[in-house]
Amino acid sequence: MGRLHAEEMILNMGPQHPSTHGVLRLKLRTDGEIVSHIEPVIGYLHRSFEKHAENLEYQQVTPFCGRCDYLAAMGSEHGYAMAVEKMMGIELPERVEYLRVIFAELQRIASHLVAVGTFGLDVGAITPFIYCFRERELILDLFEMASGARLLYNYIWIGGLAHDIPPGFVEKTYEFLDNFDTRVAEYNQILTGNKIFIERAADIGVMTPEVAINYGVTGPSLRASGVNIDIRRTQPYSIYDRFDFDVPLGEGAQGTVGDSWDRYYVRVREMEESARIIRQALDQLPVEGDVKSAIPRRIRPPKGEIYSRSENARGELGYYVVSNGKNVPLRVKMRSPAFSNLSVINEIGQGWMISDVIAILGSLDIVLGEIDR
Amino acid sequence: MIQALANWILSFDILAGLGNPIAWGLSLFVVSALIFAFVAVNAIVLVYFERKVSAFMQVRLGPMRVGKFGSLQTVADALKLLQKEDIIPRSADKILFLIGPWVILVASVVTFAAIPFSDTLLAANMNIGLFYVVSISSIVVLGIVMAGWASNNKWSLYGAMRSAAQIISYEIPVGITLIAVVAVVGSLNLQVIVQAQGGVGNLFHWIPLPLPNWFIFHNPFLFLAAFIYLIGATAEINRTPFDIPESESELVAGFMTEYSGLRWALFFLSEYANATLVAFLVSIVFLGGWQSPFADYAGAQIGFLVITLVAVMWTLYVKAKAQRLSIYPVGISLVITLAAWLFPGFAVWLASPGLFWMLMKVASIIFLLMWFRWTFPRLRVDQLMYVSWKVILPISLVNLMGVAVWMWLTGEIQF
Repeated sequence: MGRLHAEEMILNMGPQHPSTHGVLRLKLRTDGEIVSHIEPVIGYLHRSFEKHAENLEYQQVTPFCGRCDYLAAMGSEHGYAMAVEKMMGIELPERVEYLRVIFAELQRIASHLVAVGTFGLDVGAITPFIYCFRERELILDLFEMASGARLLYNYIWIGGLAHDIPPGFVEKTYEFLDNFDTRVAEYNQILTGNKIFIERAADIGVMTPEVAINYGVTGPSLRASGVNIDIRRTQPYSIYDRFDFDVPLGEGAQGTVGDSWDRYYVRVREMEESARIIRQALDQLPVEGDVKSAIPRRIRPPKGEIYSRSENARGELGYYVVSNGKNVPLRVKMRSPAFSNLSVINEIGQGWMISDVIAILGSLDIVLGEIDR
Repeated sequence: MIQALANWILSFDILAGLGNPIAWGLSLFVVSALIFAFVAVNAIVLVYFERKVSAFMQVRLGPMRVGKFGSLQTVADALKLLQKEDIIPRSADKILFLIGPWVILVASVVTFAAIPFSDTLLAANMNIGLFYVVSISSIVVLGIVMAGWASNNKWSLYGAMRSAAQIISYEIPVGITLIAVVAVVGSLNLQVIVQAQGGVGNLFHWIPLPLPNWFIFHNPFLFLAAFIYLIGATAEINRTPFDIPESESELVAGFMTEYSGLRWALFFLSEYANATLVAFLVSIVFLGGWQSPFADYAGAQIGFLVITLVAVMWTLYVKAKAQRLSIYPVGISLVITLAAWLFPGFAVWLASPGLFWMLMKVASIIFLLMWFRWTFPRLRVDQLMYVSWKVILPISLVNLMGVAVWMWLTGEIQF
């Protein structure tokens, strides 16, 4: 008998795995339960968004934007519409801007609800996930009222909106907001303060501000590390400068700043802030205004290029659009937040256990549709 | 019960010629079949129960389509599982893969032989009943390791290794808490343990609060031991928050990943059999088994009156706190109270020991386990080990000493 030979094992997590949030594949190098290296393998959901965009007219690209980040389709459409509008110099009616903000923030809540719920699912709590989906249903109902669709809307068009909101929409949104605070309290009760949950999330996968910035992490994951960058606040676009809201930052309340618990809790608090923004926007919403009045007949931006950024639910969503003066864009490049956020997984996930890698991945809140595009 | 059944068979003139060995063998077969039938039906009922409980906790309806309120859903599921293709992976260790589930099932079913369902309903009255149950139920881990190893799948291997570590770790504190009870009774016979818990007395024998003479109320240390046992037992049967061997979001399905069809159903069956076994053990060892919580019919009447009052107060509290109103706790306890006061016969029945109280206690414990499952997140594997070796084990050891000291101080044992 020679010496007992022990070596590291390559564990293939995904593309079919319950917790990889889609079709992500992680190649884990494991020593027992300890993971020593993580290699994300992506591309299983590649749908050639950027190549499609080179062959479609500007307005035809909009639905494809929603299909990238399918959990925050309104935000994706908003970002793209803004980029083209800026190229063409379109002035939007007030009502359109307010409605866009309302929809983008509702979408942020819906997206964060999925993030919070699936993070609970990743650490083994099943019930909070269903609770989160209960509220998400209400938001999807609102979207259905406005656009007729529940997931992929094609609602925010270049220069306006597809339709005005139907009667009763504002009342229903107020009704949702009135109940939402108690719901958030419910999540906090069942998940946030749970001892086991804190044990599983606090101090796990700590992302220091330096690491976060080096890897280009944006959005709630970056703010959880204590970096105060929210494009809605630092470079206000649309009409975000008119609203009074806080930018929640990671405080390390249960452990270290930038741990998985912070990334989770920043999202919970961002939902409350979004609810505040929606309430203000509803209060100020102009009654008059045709949402289609500014939609151009022919969308032919002048020659040139633009990089337009917006704060989507997962972070900085950038569109780099190059126009050669025709009705088809020469190039549309999407800077997807989830792609950069995922790239940090090896840095912060090394040395943790398999269960922790799942929790860290869940706390980064990735959407594979946007990573692979 | 086997001998009683054999005697009953022999009491017929036609069958008397069979002789005792054949009659005994026949009764053994009948009793085994009854136990297996209990386990199988129990699993079907519990799966339905679990799905409904989880649904109500998650603002859903649960199964509603098959049968009234979906009551035949699990039957349909079981039939579906029976028809499914039996897949054996090509690179699997075929023999181990095939016998793994059966080892688990047999280990979890045969433990029921020693469980007293009531004062007469007991397959085998063993003088080492508790030891038998604890030791046989730990064979389950062997089957899990077999299944996990034979599947030749990395996820299964992880699940099996986690499970082996977990079950072995938690058996020690669980065993020690049970020893605390054995120290009080002085017997390993489960029937004797239940019989020692009859009647009503003061809480811990000195606080003037009339409570049943169950071991959970016997002394403060046993009160603690009951909770330690429940935690340890939850871990032993791999249920949330200790379900890391089959943790769905991490290990896909743990050691069951490669199984399908009937063999997978066997895992399911034994999982619920084990949950039921734990519920039975908690009821027998700490909650008085088949003993009634009431001493006599007047006790039952007053007891249910108190329960109704508590239910009313609880409902008012929930109403004030969560603006939600459920009338079922008040309604059900009110109906039982009225029935107990109007029909003394019913109150007498409530106060008499029997299968009803055993099953009520078991159902409550199983509900508690489900409540855990649908509320808590899951611990990580090292935290699980930490809880076992550094928290529960020391507490249970101190607890065992505490029981001994308490008994010495109260004069229950002399040295």
